[in-house]
Amino acid sequence: MTAPSSLLLEYLPILIFLGIAVAVAGLAVGGSIFVAPQKPDPKKNAAFECGFDAFEDSRGRFDVRFYLVAILFIIFDLEVAYLFPWAISFSGIGLYGFWSMMVFLGILTIGFVYEWKKGALEWE
Amino acid sequence: MTELANPNYLAALPEMFLAAAAAVLLMIGVFVGNRSTTALTLLSALAMAAAFIMVLVAPDERATAFGGLFVTDTFSTFMKCLVLIGASVTLIMGLGYVKREGMARFEFPVLILFASVGMLMMISANDLIALYIGLELQSLSLYILAAFRRDAVRSSEAGLKYFVLGALSSGFLLYGCSMVYGFTGATNFEAIAAAVASGGEAGAAGPIGILIGLVFIAVALAFKISAVPFHMWTPDVYEGAPTPVTAFFAAAPKIAAMALLLRVFLGPFQELVEQWEQIILFVSIASMALGALAAIGQTNIKRLMAYSSIGHVGYALVGLAAGTPEGVRGVIIYLTIYMVMSLGAFSCILAMRQKGQMVEQISDLAGLSKTNPLMAFSFAVFMFSMAGIPPLAGFFGKLYVFLAAIDAGLYGLAIVGVLTSVVGAFYYIRIVKLMYFDEPAAPLDRPIGVELSVVLAGTGIVTVLFFAYPTPVLIGAQAAAASLFP
Amino acid sequence: MLLYIAPVFLPLIGAAIAGLFGRLIGARASQVVSCLAMGIAAILAVIVFDRVAIGGEVQQVYLFQWISSGGFEVDWAFRYDALTAVMVFVVSIVSFLIHVYSIGYMAHDPHIPRFFAYLSLFTFFMLALITADNLLQLYFGWEGVGLLSYLLIGFWYKRPAANSADIKAYVVNRVGDFGFGLGILAIFLTVGSISYDAVFSAAPDLAGRSFEFLGGQFDILNVVCILLFVGAMGKSAQFLLHTWLPDAMEGPTPVSALIHAATMVTAGVFMVARMSPLFEYAPVALAVVTVIGAITAIFAALIAITQTDIKRVIAYSTMSQLGYMFFACGVSAYSAAIFHLATHAFFKALLFMGAGAVIHAMSDEQDMRRMGGLWKLIPVTYGLMWVGSLALAGIPFFSGFFSKDIILESAFAAHTGLGQFAFWAGIAAAALTALYSWRLIILTFHGKSRADEQVLAHVHEAPPVMTIPNVLLAIGAIGAGYLLLPLVAADGAFWGDAIFVLPGHEALEAAHHVDFWVKALPTIVAVLGIGAAYLAYMAWPALPGAIAARLRPLYLLSLNKGYVDELYDFVFVRPAMYLGRGLWKQGDGAVIDGVGPDGLAAAALVLARRAVRLQSGYLYHYAFAMLIGLAAIVTWYLLART
Repeated sequence: MTAPSSLLLEYLPILIFLGIAVAVAGLAVGGSIFVAPQKPDPKKNAAFECGFDAFEDSRGRFDVRFYLVAILFIIFDLEVAYLFPWAISFSGIGLYGFWSMMVFLGILTIGFVYEWKKGALEWE
Repeated sequence: MTELANPNYLAALPEMFLAAAAAVLLMIGVFVGNRSTTALTLLSALAMAAAFIMVLVAPDERATAFGGLFVTDTFSTFMKCLVLIGASVTLIMGLGYVKREGMARFEFPVLILFASVGMLMMISANDLIALYIGLELQSLSLYILAAFRRDAVRSSEAGLKYFVLGALSSGFLLYGCSMVYGFTGATNFEAIAAAVASGGEAGAAGPIGILIGLVFIAVALAFKISAVPFHMWTPDVYEGAPTPVTAFFAAAPKIAAMALLLRVFLGPFQELVEQWEQIILFVSIASMALGALAAIGQTNIKRLMAYSSIGHVGYALVGLAAGTPEGVRGVIIYLTIYMVMSLGAFSCILAMRQKGQMVEQISDLAGLSKTNPLMAFSFAVFMFSMAGIPPLAGFFGKLYVFLAAIDAGLYGLAIVGVLTSVVGAFYYIRIVKLMYFDEPAAPLDRPIGVELSVVLAGTGIVTVLFFAYPTPVLIGAQAAAASLFP
Repeated sequence: MLLYIAPVFLPLIGAAIAGLFGRLIGARASQVVSCLAMGIAAILAVIVFDRVAIGGEVQQVYLFQWISSGGFEVDWAFRYDALTAVMVFVVSIVSFLIHVYSIGYMAHDPHIPRFFAYLSLFTFFMLALITADNLLQLYFGWEGVGLLSYLLIGFWYKRPAANSADIKAYVVNRVGDFGFGLGILAIFLTVGSISYDAVFSAAPDLAGRSFEFLGGQFDILNVVCILLFVGAMGKSAQFLLHTWLPDAMEGPTPVSALIHAATMVTAGVFMVARMSPLFEYAPVALAVVTVIGAITAIFAALIAITQTDIKRVIAYSTMSQLGYMFFACGVSAYSAAIFHLATHAFFKALLFMGAGAVIHAMSDEQDMRRMGGLWKLIPVTYGLMWVGSLALAGIPFFSGFFSKDIILESAFAAHTGLGQFAFWAGIAAAALTALYSWRLIILTFHGKSRADEQVLAHVHEAPPVMTIPNVLLAIGAIGAGYLLLPLVAADGAFWGDAIFVLPGHEALEAAHHVDFWVKALPTIVAVLGIGAAYLAYMAWPALPGAIAARLRPLYLLSLNKGYVDELYDFVFVRPAMYLGRGLWKQGDGAVIDGVGPDGLAAAALVLARRAVRLQSGYLYHYAFAMLIGLAAIVTWYLLART
């Protein structure tokens, strides 16, 4: 093997993974076509997006609360995602790392308390 | 990891204290409700005062914290003091307005507190990451503050515009940071400086890559200080935002962003001074010219102040363009004086009420000398000072930056500066003429309130008597500038 | 010491008190103070005259150093020699008499303190001019009297005519003073000093030397003296720079008498006499002085014949007499000039004040065509006018006879072509002088009155405060000739070193030995002139009109003062106006303002409007602007690096 292909070789698992994914997805979609009963109706044919019609007047009104929930969810979702790398490298970052995350979570909690008390989590 | 083990919390004590105070006040506010606004405002001011003392008593020599992410030195001390003064004074100044105009929600002081934490972090940033965090903390708070009167169309519009354009500039900043990181392999300022000095890691491609990164960072920062042509948000946001917020915009964030600009250009990119000097020259001249010209056509006093602030940024940048310690000293003096003048001017603007309603038209000031001679006099003092008429403080601000520019051989820049201040004098003095020689419009309400009177008197005295005892500012600015040139 | 300082500074003190505290102490006190100060000064002047001129005590009084700048050193000092003494004597006495006369003449004026302050201040400057020991001090006095002349001509500043007259006087004098100033500078340049002693002692060495200017060689002393004489022409209203003097008659009559007859206008003559050590070495300059003087003498006399304003007639007569003085100087008969200056001061002041009394009596009427037949109504004034006119015409036993004769004889005795020209011009002018003087007397005092009843009803003799000074002046007009006769003694012993005459220029000495017909001719023509006036204005009143109709062009030329004013108006005033207007409208207005303040302001406004329009309010515009800015800067760097 020459040098350039050694680099490519490192990406081989990804290629394999890609192949498997395509195969599984094709299998699932193809299987449903053959196996499942096909009774299409407009609702089923419509593209799905957050409970709205995908194609309608862009100036149409909708409830802002959808967005509030989504934004709040995303904030907490992303910030909780920090916990994964933290947990994995926990053995290497010691007490300092631990307390840093505690402070972070504390701040997150303050934000959570604020949004709870402001009533942002209540639909009505 | 050894760096992390020695975080040196003490250096960042004011920031940590302010952040904690903000969190606590937020909790108090959310549990007690909006009736706590006045108390929270005062407590916020108190917290800033405490942070001010912490900044002052901290040891003067350079110290880093959090593994080099954070730095304190004489420069940061001086600029933090300015920011804290500006923020706390505008907080107190705006209290009356906030209560009258139905925006007395407890978030207001807390947001200002968070913005202040962000600004302090910006001033002390010693790493691209810290820079970004500080900048974003400040900016996010300011977006909300600009739109704080969410029932007012103009306020919402101001907040939205500021947010969208701010996000764009943040994008530029991040892109620039990633370029710089990509070509130097470092985010720490000292490491970047070393990499720049050695030509960058990627050989010949390095410098141009670094340079493009620098341009992006510079553009983002130019947006924050509202330098032309990245100033477009300023007039709309100044006009639309509630007046206390506008005052805050004029006083504090501009200084913090300017401090950050100084630190970035003179720290990691000191070696590239001949490169960024060209940007500063262009931006400075454009700002001075636009600030002087566009202000002429304005009828709204806050919009006028927006253009005025654009012009002032241009003058301050003259000092940076010189790239010398004298130039930086000039910038620092200029910012100090500018902050005092704009606090004074905005305290006058906050006092512009007719029959309980806020008014913002310049023509509402007509004949003020007859209805409220003291206020007219102080407003006139601020206008003359901003125009740079000796012996008022504003003259000295301009004097020091122009002197530095001439010492550095930037004669053209100094000449443009003087010419634009002549043009600019027109609209400042027009206001004076309006107040003193025109027929009185409907009189403004009196009294203007204790806090405004105190600010008016204090800033007025500083503006008038600066020439008599400028030593503290001069010495402080000298030391602060010197600490940026190791 | 004090004796020599006091005469100069007493008028200043009087002026200061009357001027600064006039409102406080009132009109009466102002009059008293300034007259008193002037009176003491006059008495002291007599003593000074006795000591210096008669006793021969030449004095130089050093007061203090005035300017010391590099090599330029000027002291404040007085020089008292015979010339100074004569001048101080004449000026103080005439000034004092006019001060007193003014009490009566200005009695109804609302600004009496101001008037007396001006009058006294003028006298101070005149005395400072006379007593100067260096050219700068001379210039100080010179400009001072010019200023006061301006202020006094325009004393009635509400009259437009007075205002334009004083501006004219000032501007014309500036022309002369410019030459005078250049002359002083040239002296400093060549001599290195402006003190009289240094300049006079350097003069013989400078004679004949020349300097280069614009590629030509010029004789130093001739240039300097001509420049100085230009100053004298302005101040003494000599031909070409004379136009201001007749107009100056807009001022109050005492002012005309003091400034525009007796003293200030003679400053030019005094200066030329004072500078005789320079002029003597400058033959060209002397020739110029002679010619200008002679032309002025005859020119002014010709104009005086047709004028109808009583004061203007006397003003032209003054010009004419000044012309005599100058051509006397021109033929080196300086002492004759000063002699005539002194006698002229008395009789001309007398004539003016007599005219003033007439005007006063006629309720401010100055036009002789509306007078006539007044001699019975104001006999004292009538008599005084006769005395003045006789002296002016040079009739024997009156002072003018002595002084005018010696001038004409000197001119004749100079035995030069120019001297002869001056002599005959002087003779012609003498005849004309007699003619217009008696024309004035006859038109004013004889014949049927042409004034209206109302005016005639009010005609009255002037009060004693006006007549007594006039009588005293009349005594001077008769007696000054005898008293001052030693001035023109053939040996010149009177003058000591004050007047310098080069050997070979002794016209004055020769004047004592001319033929009898030369001595008699002036008197003969004067008597003929009087006879002609009698014929033309009394015996055959139709004659003047017939002559005027016959010689209409000449008549108009004389009536319109030789059209010199019109000429100047065409050559200088209008072009200057057009130039000024052009520079103002086109140069200053269109170019400087247009490009400068106005243009910049307009450009700023246009740019401002554009700058405002940039601010559209659309978010995408703003973002686009940012992107363009970013792209521009990046492009700049990329291009700059390749």
